[in-house]
Amino acid sequence: MTGRAWLRRLWPLAPVLGALVITSGLLLLFGVSPFEGFGALLQGAFGTEAKVLSVAAFWVPLTLAAAGLVVAFTAGLWNIGVEGQIVMGAVASSWLALRFDAPRPILLVAEILVAMAAGALWAGVVAIFKTRGGVHEIFGGLALNNIAIIFTNYLISGPWQPPEGGTFRGTVPFPEKALFPLLGVSRLSPLSIALTLGALAAVYFILRGTYWGLKLDALGRNPKSAFLLGVSSEREMILAMMFCGALAGLGGSVRVLSWFDSLRQSISGGIGFLALLVVMLALFRVVLVPFVAFFFSAVLSGSISLQLRTQLHSSLGGILTSVMVLLVLLFGDYRQLGIFGSRGGKALADE
Amino acid sequence: MTEALIVSILIITIRAGTSLLYATLGEIYTERVGILNLGVEGIMMMGAATAFAVSYHSGSAWIGLLGAVLVGGLLALIHAFLSNTMRADQVVSGLALTIFGTGLASFMGQRLGPGGTTMVGLQGPKFVRTPLPLLSDIPILGPSFFNQDVLTYGLYLLLPLLWFFLYRTQPGLHLRAVGEKPLAADAMGVPVIRTRYIYTIFGGMLMGVAGAHLSLGYLQGWADNITGGRGWIAIALVIFATWDPLRAVIGAMLFGGINAIQFRMQAAGTTIPAPFLNMMPYIFTIVVLVIITWWEAISKRLGAPAALGLPYAREEKH
Repeated sequence: MTGRAWLRRLWPLAPVLGALVITSGLLLLFGVSPFEGFGALLQGAFGTEAKVLSVAAFWVPLTLAAAGLVVAFTAGLWNIGVEGQIVMGAVASSWLALRFDAPRPILLVAEILVAMAAGALWAGVVAIFKTRGGVHEIFGGLALNNIAIIFTNYLISGPWQPPEGGTFRGTVPFPEKALFPLLGVSRLSPLSIALTLGALAAVYFILRGTYWGLKLDALGRNPKSAFLLGVSSEREMILAMMFCGALAGLGGSVRVLSWFDSLRQSISGGIGFLALLVVMLALFRVVLVPFVAFFFSAVLSGSISLQLRTQLHSSLGGILTSVMVLLVLLFGDYRQLGIFGSRGGKALADE
Repeated sequence: MTEALIVSILIITIRAGTSLLYATLGEIYTERVGILNLGVEGIMMMGAATAFAVSYHSGSAWIGLLGAVLVGGLLALIHAFLSNTMRADQVVSGLALTIFGTGLASFMGQRLGPGGTTMVGLQGPKFVRTPLPLLSDIPILGPSFFNQDVLTYGLYLLLPLLWFFLYRTQPGLHLRAVGEKPLAADAMGVPVIRTRYIYTIFGGMLMGVAGAHLSLGYLQGWADNITGGRGWIAIALVIFATWDPLRAVIGAMLFGGINAIQFRMQAAGTTIPAPFLNMMPYIFTIVVLVIITWWEAISKRLGAPAALGLPYAREEKH
């Protein structure tokens, strides 16, 4: 390979290195040794078997939401409301887990299905705001995110409040049979791994091998000509959003039924926003999504356990990943390097 | 209602609305030049942390405010550089800024207290409420509107200025042209990129002030997640205000007003659980927002700047 080709191969590493350098600088500024910091981060992510399982458990909902977002992005939609869709999925699963009794397999399937339906509905509202009301999906999504979070807080402090009054932090733990079967004492369920792999395969297949995927792609590349060619832009947009919402809702279900065992105040905790960054770093390609999501999970999950071990704050993970994204935007002169496909950069008012 | 009750509700309304209004005005100016900055939450968080840390160590709230303004401008400069010069995706850049700002601010909060300890729970210099002579003697309005801190008074001056500048001056016209039709503005001789840089940074400075008002004025101290989603509410209020500074007041006061009523209800010993009351301002603002936005969109009056979110390049067709 020529030097140029090598440079092109290694280019994606530049933001990673840059992020490490900048974050090290910040750590030094605050009097923390970077070696200690990143060492603790690695320990926190991969130090023990339990920690690796924890990284995988964090990876599941992040990957689910990101996989859904790939479909929305393909249709040219900025589904920033994915955060709220995760929350509504979690709420729907919690409702069944708290209020209904059935044999475990039936209950689990029902919980998953209502979560997907709730996420899809929440996304559908954003899509209808867009197609019928002319409200851009970014603004509609942000508004619905807030409402979903408020709704959760209302449920936790109102109708679903623990009988002893509680701390307003969450509902009572769900009965054992309403929860996903877990691997040992971890927060990871084989069921959620299977669901995630299934979702990734489904998204890959839809975009590569179906007529619907082709229509979404046409819609994303040029909505006007797609419309002229007979693609019903309204229908496909709503369906693409709802598909994304369904996967996000599934992610929410995983959060309440395996990561936690009850509905909590910040049930998603920004996973939706992280998923948007994951998809962007994965160059909007579903095959790269699980790997980027794994990197994010390792850094973020690692920094959570890091806080317990050292004086370092868990915010290190957020700083590291966000600096990396900013550097990708900085280094990624993608049009010239031809590494990235170019999406985004659409006028918001151009409806 | 008694006069005292009305006054007390108005005081909290204005105090709670101040930081929100600063942030909303900052975002309005940013979006008016065609840049969508979703980093508001992160910039406010950094503004709040910087303002508190700097004023704690310097002993002056004013120096803290200056620090917040600088940090706000700096973070917005990053966004302006990525959106204008690199023509990067504004949504991604904004989201990354929010995560970065939230993370770094929380890190600072952990470390910038005395001797590298936490800032949580510290008392520092603050902007206290000072009644204005004469004006504060007006019944009801006096003790509520003219018995506030200096940042709120600053807002009384800034608001008409920002409105006048935007709609009645030539630079304001250029600003709006850059957000609506950058190509036409360019042809008119308005430097599109420079204008976008200037107002994005200016907007970031206002967001910094918004954060400073939280940690030095309204909440007077540092706590993790001090902004509590106000940055996202500000972005929503921009649409509610249809990108008009004066209409932003209505939204911010609505938010502040429900905050105030909720305080009163809590004081009166209501049986409604506290977290639900805390969330009431958010619910109400968002619901009203959605209804109004939808209604306006249906009646085709929603005035988003036409080039919002679109990077400008002279040689490309728009």
